[in-house]
Amino acid sequence: MVSRCATVAHPQGLHMRPAQILVNAMGKYPCEVTILTEGRQINGKSILSVLSACIRQGSEIEIRCSGEEEQAALEEAAALI
Amino acid sequence: MILRGIGASGGVGMGPAVCLRAAAPDRAGRGYAGVEDERARLRAASCQVERETAALAERMRVRAGESEPAILTGQITMLRDPELELQLDRAIQEGETAEAAVDAVFGGYIRLFEGLEDERMRLRAADIRDLQSRLLRALLGRREADLSRLPAGCVLVTRELTPSMAVGLDRERVAAILTETGGSASHAAILTRALGIPAVLGAAGALQAVENGELVLVDGDAGTALPRPGRKEQEEYRTRRAALLRRQARLEPYRRRPTVDGDGRRLRLYANVGHPAEAVRAAAEGAEGIGLLRTEFLFLDRAEPPTEEEQLAAYLAAARPFPRGEVVIRTLDAGGDKRIPWLALPQERNPFLGCRGLRASFAQPELFRVQLRALLRAGAEAPGLRVLLPMATSVSEVRKVRAMLAQCAVELEREGMACRLELPLGVMVETPAAARTADLLAQESDFFSIGTNDLTQYILAADRNAPEAKRLYTPFHPAVLRELRDVIRAGRQAGIPVGLCGEAAADPELLPLLLAWGLEELSVSPALLLETRARIAGWTAAEAGAVERQVMALAGPEEIRAYYDAWPHN
Repeated sequence: MVSRCATVAHPQGLHMRPAQILVNAMGKYPCEVTILTEGRQINGKSILSVLSACIRQGSEIEIRCSGEEEQAALEEAAALI
Repeated sequence: MILRGIGASGGVGMGPAVCLRAAAPDRAGRGYAGVEDERARLRAASCQVERETAALAERMRVRAGESEPAILTGQITMLRDPELELQLDRAIQEGETAEAAVDAVFGGYIRLFEGLEDERMRLRAADIRDLQSRLLRALLGRREADLSRLPAGCVLVTRELTPSMAVGLDRERVAAILTETGGSASHAAILTRALGIPAVLGAAGALQAVENGELVLVDGDAGTALPRPGRKEQEEYRTRRAALLRRQARLEPYRRRPTVDGDGRRLRLYANVGHPAEAVRAAAEGAEGIGLLRTEFLFLDRAEPPTEEEQLAAYLAAARPFPRGEVVIRTLDAGGDKRIPWLALPQERNPFLGCRGLRASFAQPELFRVQLRALLRAGAEAPGLRVLLPMATSVSEVRKVRAMLAQCAVELEREGMACRLELPLGVMVETPAAARTADLLAQESDFFSIGTNDLTQYILAADRNAPEAKRLYTPFHPAVLRELRDVIRAGRQAGIPVGLCGEAAADPELLPLLLAWGLEELSVSPALLLETRARIAGWTAAEAGAVERQVMALAGPEEIRAYYDAWPHN
């Protein structure tokens, strides 16, 4: 498993469009993608989970990728957030 | 039985009815068919909804230029959500039918989103609900209404015509429109007029009175609709149709003529449009420019604000058909009857007196700056571009926008972007405050455009869409007429151009008054351009002045009505 902390840069937070881009990008990887925010663990490939977490600009989140191609998935997720 | 409503768009149309009824899917009486079958049914329904959504997104992309229909692509992402799929599959394994699983799992997400604190996220509940009902429809074998594939020559019958539905309509296919709600100045009405489709709105009970496939005759001039017309009515319809075609032939020569009054005085005749595609039609119909481009289309039907690049592309597309003409672009006029869900404007008891137009833009300065930057950049390529401010009430607001424009221009220059350093900035005179202080506003503005729809409703305190008050709503009240006269005069005295872009601009009875007051620019919907040009040519200054003196000497709207009823021009 690899992980990294990141600060959300989007002015709208992880709203519809940025969340969609993130989720669609993560869907390409075979590994599991988990986002940790405010003590919760959410599935980084699930748009409904990411949206309902209401992640705002400036939020500190941790991304964990585990499984095949985990490093590549983590790099791309960090770049998108 | 004759149905009565409001004649929102003139002309007559007859054809078989296509009724759009929002029926609640009935899922009683279906038994559980086993895990594999229920899974297969759900998969098939999900694929169908995904295909439909993708096709809709593609159509919107084509129609709205480069704008990305994020709501629709977001729904596709939702359909593929792995957590959602897992829960649906678990419900099916536990013995639920596909319908019951969709009901329960989507219902859970709808409640989850409705309970969120973030207001904009709460709005996503509507997207999930929409997806749920479409999945249920697909499971039950019902098809979604597709407005771009209506049978040719049909009459569309629906509860409400939303502006986004109206954008999908095609004059070649739809002979007429009949709705149960809506008023003549609603945006749906304006769009039907722009498309040139006869329409009767606000005809209560229309969906009960008309059956799918039955012949319906819609009279947009009288505001009536007749289901199952008899032989006599059908004959009358054909006679009127023929007269309409003759009238079109009579107006045809005006397409390429300049706009001049009976004395040869030159006027400017522009078009009001709600979309760049309409600007193309306006140019073909003989418009000399765009007097009003509403920019709301950029902000509707999506989850997030349009980008600067998208706006730039849309403004340039609207200006392209008029390389030498003026193109007046109104900044976002949200609020009032134009709700933009994601904009998160405050819930107000009286939205027409609340945060709308320029006020809503000031409330979201970041959003407003993106629009101003796009306008400045478009101005670099479109020399005729002008900016119009909706709902301005004082000079301080005009100064504030000018300062924001100047600041945006400095930033764009610093970023190395091609842009204009200044743009002509005009006030949409549509509040009594702006009208009364027109002389003061004229010192700060480069032009005026009078918006008669709102100005009339604000002066007379009469809602143009309220069934009981719309009777009072008329520009032919001395209070409105005096205001129009004074605003035109104030603009002329200050030496700035004054135009009129409300629906009154196309009113044949108001025309002589406007000409007598020296109005030089009229902006009307594309369907009314030629008629208006022909009418302007029919008035000399002396004749128009005589009408003006008589009308302005009358005491009330009833007297004015009586005067016009006896008018030789009618």
